[in-house]
Amino acid sequence: MIEFLQQVFNGLAIGAVYTLIAIGLTIVFGILGIAHFAHGVVAMSGGYVTFFLIEKLGVPFFVAMMLAMVVGAILGLLVERFAYRPVQNAAHINAFIIALGLTMMIDGLNLLAFGPDQMVIRTPFQSVFNLAGLVVTELRVYVMVTTAVLIVAMSFFVSRTKTGRAIRAVAQNRSAAILMGVNVNAVALVVFGLSSALGVAGGALVGAMLALAPGLGESLVIKGFAVLILGGLGSVPGAIVGGLILGVSEALAAGYLSSAYKDVIAFLVMIVVLLFRPEGLLGKK
Amino acid sequence: MSPVKTTFVWPLLSLLALVLAPALVQVPYFLHLGILALIWVIVAQGQNLVQGFTGYVSIAAAGFMGVGAYASTLLTTKLGWSVWASMACAPLIAALLAVVVGYPSLRVKGHYFAIVTMAYNLVIFIVLINYSSLTGGESGITGVPKPENFSVFGFTINFETRNAYYYLTLICAAFATVICGLVLHSRVGRVLLAIRQNEPLVDAAGVFAWRYKMFAFVLSAALCGVAGALYAHFIGFLNPEPFGVDQSLNAILAVILGGSGTLAGPVVGAFLVVALPEFLRVAETYRLIVYGLLLVLTTIFMPRGIVPLLAYAWHLFTSLFKKR
Repeated sequence: MIEFLQQVFNGLAIGAVYTLIAIGLTIVFGILGIAHFAHGVVAMSGGYVTFFLIEKLGVPFFVAMMLAMVVGAILGLLVERFAYRPVQNAAHINAFIIALGLTMMIDGLNLLAFGPDQMVIRTPFQSVFNLAGLVVTELRVYVMVTTAVLIVAMSFFVSRTKTGRAIRAVAQNRSAAILMGVNVNAVALVVFGLSSALGVAGGALVGAMLALAPGLGESLVIKGFAVLILGGLGSVPGAIVGGLILGVSEALAAGYLSSAYKDVIAFLVMIVVLLFRPEGLLGKK
Repeated sequence: MSPVKTTFVWPLLSLLALVLAPALVQVPYFLHLGILALIWVIVAQGQNLVQGFTGYVSIAAAGFMGVGAYASTLLTTKLGWSVWASMACAPLIAALLAVVVGYPSLRVKGHYFAIVTMAYNLVIFIVLINYSSLTGGESGITGVPKPENFSVFGFTINFETRNAYYYLTLICAAFATVICGLVLHSRVGRVLLAIRQNEPLVDAAGVFAWRYKMFAFVLSAALCGVAGALYAHFIGFLNPEPFGVDQSLNAILAVILGGSGTLAGPVVGAFLVVALPEFLRVAETYRLIVYGLLLVLTTIFMPRGIVPLLAYAWHLFTSLFKKR
């Protein structure tokens, strides 16, 4: 029983990261209809920036993460402006192919700038608590708390500010929003900035919990999309539930079945959901 | 010339050039690249069926290639089948897998189809690496045999030689192109094009769109399976590395660069994606970056690819000489 709880706890921590990545994807998809496949490498770049700030400049972890989120947001703006906007009126598949190209490019640039070696972001949160046999690492608690804080902050921004209202308007009805004088291009930029900042937070947290390495961006974004399929496209609560389910099922699969095949099990869950509930667990028909 | 005749001029000319190439090109390495390019023609034709005709981007080409490659190799080495029989079985096994995995994935559209197929490619890759009792894991399988000698009219064709293997792949590539051409000009091809343009309309017209999508997906997987088998028996060494997601992206790049939805596009694109890394060899570290940039720039500025662009240029050129 205690082993089961342990796996669930570990799964919730990694699931929190998946949630952060997936929320970024889901708001871009829900509002702009773009499958932003380059989200994963943007998140990874942010992880690398965090690593660099901590190791080379001695910035404290959370400050480094905030700064990296700003850098990530700028990268997101550039991606929207120069890669996606030129094809916004073309077939959706073009944007996806561009995203694949961006993924290769940014991956290559990361490889060039930071090398092929694995890097673990060092954090001061190394304490380990023992709750009646359950091993609770401080870092994992911080990961979950940070995720929760970021999600609350994002919901506040979207539901309470004027910009947030514009974002919701575009999500509901793009043409009506244009007629009401909403600057859709500006909304697209804000959405990409927001999404990339959240993704970067995910990248930094995964870099602290596991490690940063080339190719992790792709695997993160695929997990992110798996979460969207699980939870329902464009749904933020779906992304939260889906992310936690994916994280926990992966941890349980790794603990009880085989760690080499844990990704296979994650994808199997996704395929089963597609078969029986294609609109996702919390999606609308 | 009437338009019907001109449609066959360019394909026949390029086929003639490819037939004569081994006699003209004396550098063995170029022949080696030629064989790889022809293998990629088969993959790109398969990719084009799904991506170009039907408008669904599948990111599993390399995965199905891997299935074909390992199926053919294992049938030969573990069960002692003849290479010819194994190579003939490879596309069937890839197609069978495509039937099983195609059913759930074709329920989703657009980007999500792409993501799901990419997940398949990842799963295939993970299995190839981890199921090492069968696949040899990361260290792979050495000594994959070449096809057995073949006798026609007293001549013995020895497939250990590059020339013979070149013609084998050329025949397969030409065959793949002809099949895709036949599909494109049949009722099935029309339905596939209609799905790309307006899938709800196809459904509304009482056509079971998913059957046609399934057909395209399965045929594409079979072509990738053939290509994988040809690759395995040509290189003689098999490990999971060439069957990862990045190689599937290469197949997408081949279709986009060449011209998606055309028959000539994948051929041109396949030669380009095999030739490009050779040119970029001097800058191996920049290869990914240049590749990605190329993909982005092509999609933004030349979304229809090189072949339609060249066709347009040729049309302008010939119209200069026409009487008004």
